[in-house]
Amino acid sequence: MKTGWVLFVGLAVFYVIVAVIYWQVGGEAVGITAIGLSAGLAIIVGFYLWFTDRRLGNVLPEDNQQGEIADSAGEIGFFSPHSWWPLPVALSICAVGTGLIIGWWLVLIAVGALIISVLGLVLEYERPSTTSH
Amino acid sequence: MTTYAQRPTIAAGAGKVAPTSKGRLLVKWLTSTDHKTIGYLYLITSFIWFLIAGLLALVLRSELARPGMQFLSNEQYNQIFTMHGTIMLLMFATPLFVGFANVIMPLQIGAADVAFPRLNMLSYWLYLFGGTMAFIGFLTPGGAASFGWTAYAPLSNAQYSPGIGGDLWLVGLAIGGLGTILGGVNFVTTILTMRAPGMTMFRMSIFSWNVLLTSILVLIAFPPLAAAFLALESDRVFGSHIFDPANGGAMLWQHLFWFFGHPEVYILALPFFGIATEILPVFSRKPIFGYKGLIAATIAIAALSVSVWAHHMYASGQVLLPFFSFMTFLIGVPTGVKFFNWIGTMWRGAVTFETPMLFVLGFLITFLFGGLTGIILASPPLDFAVSASYFVVAHFHYVLFGTVVFAMFAGFYFWWPKMTGKMLNETLGKIHFWTLFFGFHLTFLIQHWLGIKGFPRRYADYLATDGFTTMNMISTVGSFLLALSMIPFFINIWITRHTEKVTVDDPWGYGASLEWATSCPPPRHNFTSIPRIRSERPAFDLHYPHMAQKADH
Repeated sequence: MKTGWVLFVGLAVFYVIVAVIYWQVGGEAVGITAIGLSAGLAIIVGFYLWFTDRRLGNVLPEDNQQGEIADSAGEIGFFSPHSWWPLPVALSICAVGTGLIIGWWLVLIAVGALIISVLGLVLEYERPSTTSH
Repeated sequence: MTTYAQRPTIAAGAGKVAPTSKGRLLVKWLTSTDHKTIGYLYLITSFIWFLIAGLLALVLRSELARPGMQFLSNEQYNQIFTMHGTIMLLMFATPLFVGFANVIMPLQIGAADVAFPRLNMLSYWLYLFGGTMAFIGFLTPGGAASFGWTAYAPLSNAQYSPGIGGDLWLVGLAIGGLGTILGGVNFVTTILTMRAPGMTMFRMSIFSWNVLLTSILVLIAFPPLAAAFLALESDRVFGSHIFDPANGGAMLWQHLFWFFGHPEVYILALPFFGIATEILPVFSRKPIFGYKGLIAATIAIAALSVSVWAHHMYASGQVLLPFFSFMTFLIGVPTGVKFFNWIGTMWRGAVTFETPMLFVLGFLITFLFGGLTGIILASPPLDFAVSASYFVVAHFHYVLFGTVVFAMFAGFYFWWPKMTGKMLNETLGKIHFWTLFFGFHLTFLIQHWLGIKGFPRRYADYLATDGFTTMNMISTVGSFLLALSMIPFFINIWITRHTEKVTVDDPWGYGASLEWATSCPPPRHNFTSIPRIRSERPAFDLHYPHMAQKADH
């Protein structure tokens, strides 16, 4: 995790330096803003990784030079075996986009479809699983 | 059904019987959350786009073969070069990176899947549907977008480019861009959190490192692009004045577009550098020369690439020439470091010339030419002389075709046994390589001189008295040879589809990274057992334990 946050914080520091140099040598507003926002993006990720690293307080198996495969034995997390939901979500997003071009009536329908399909995707595994399907 | 992936040290029992009927197979692919299947979908789809955009390029070259208009109108010509560029960059090369990263990267870091499998599939659908939206502009009455893939304002606004084709282009690409952003999130999370025990960051393969840095660049570059596209669409549909030239909109567009556009070049280059770096040590029988140097060079490229965008805008006369010229020369240095390392990897190695290695050497030569003309174009006085001429066209085709297409085929031949369980035929592979190599250089080398003589890009026609005819004819002949070189590849896929299955984990014999420590093709969650990881070459250490011991002393 340490390499991860050092990488992102390092990128953020570098982007800030570049933004300041660009500003000082007379750069325009769009570029200064864009490089500044890039620094912001890197620092968000870097801070989160640093914070998590500090909170965990120990070396993770994948960062341990002497790590054994058995060190993280057990459940590694939930993996969806297959899912229909990404398809309707993507179709709804495209329908919203098409609606912007051809008419508001389609946007209204498509936003409804998008809400339903996003709920479907997010809640797919949230119900208590009494039966396997 | 909810499944929990088991830690792979526990030998998995007999897997579920694979679906056999066509309908079940279709449902399996449509609903897949397996990173390998989604990766294959990406690779297949982007390759189909490559063929479509290649056919468009043949139409352009045919039109330019002789002076005078042969069979296209000016407007049709504009639509075709716009869609050729759009498809090649945003619907072929970028998703091709996502495809290779999806198939290979989780295997190389010893993960069971990517961090967000359903998000992965959502990214694919957004890419497929967004790309299709941009393309079906051809079926609308006004035709497809015709303002160039750069869509400069005010040319791309509703007054100068009316018609629904431009709207579909903007919205479709914004949706496709969303898919790419989600893919970037997925890869960064996967690499940071799902590595196998012992797989420290500085033991990851160079390809995985490049995927990480490319994904960071995606997160930096694609949001400004999607925002600019949607803002332009708002100008076109709702009459806003974001890119109105009266309040500086023309320059705003160029800055936003190229703030995406230049990191995009590295998004297209870095993963394919990674593929080349995976292949070179295997066929040189040597470890990578300067592993940490290569990573440092990649990080330097990723960091510097946000500060060079306006070298695409020298000719606007409104950018800081010294700053951008200096930064552009600076970013050439880590790229040179990579060349040094690639050559150092081959140096005094036992080099053999199997098809993947040939394509990597083709990549090295072609990309070197593109890099050298890039240094020329980084210098403002030289750039002014050839800006928007065929010299620039030749330059970026050398850069992009050199990296993306040569390294793509290198990756296909190299990982084909890993992906399908079948080896591709070497003889046909070599015919494929040499026709592609000669076809490419015949098409594009001459365009450097064409540009210096003054032929501007994006022109549908020229006069016989201009003196461009012979050079254009040579380029057109080359382009058809280039197109024909796809035929040996298809024959190769066809004749090897029923050949003997690869039974070993590592058919090339010297594979270094972890994908060569699992079966061909790998099981659903990738590994039945993972070897102990003690270096950046875990599969090599597994297959040659005596070599690993020697290295310890």
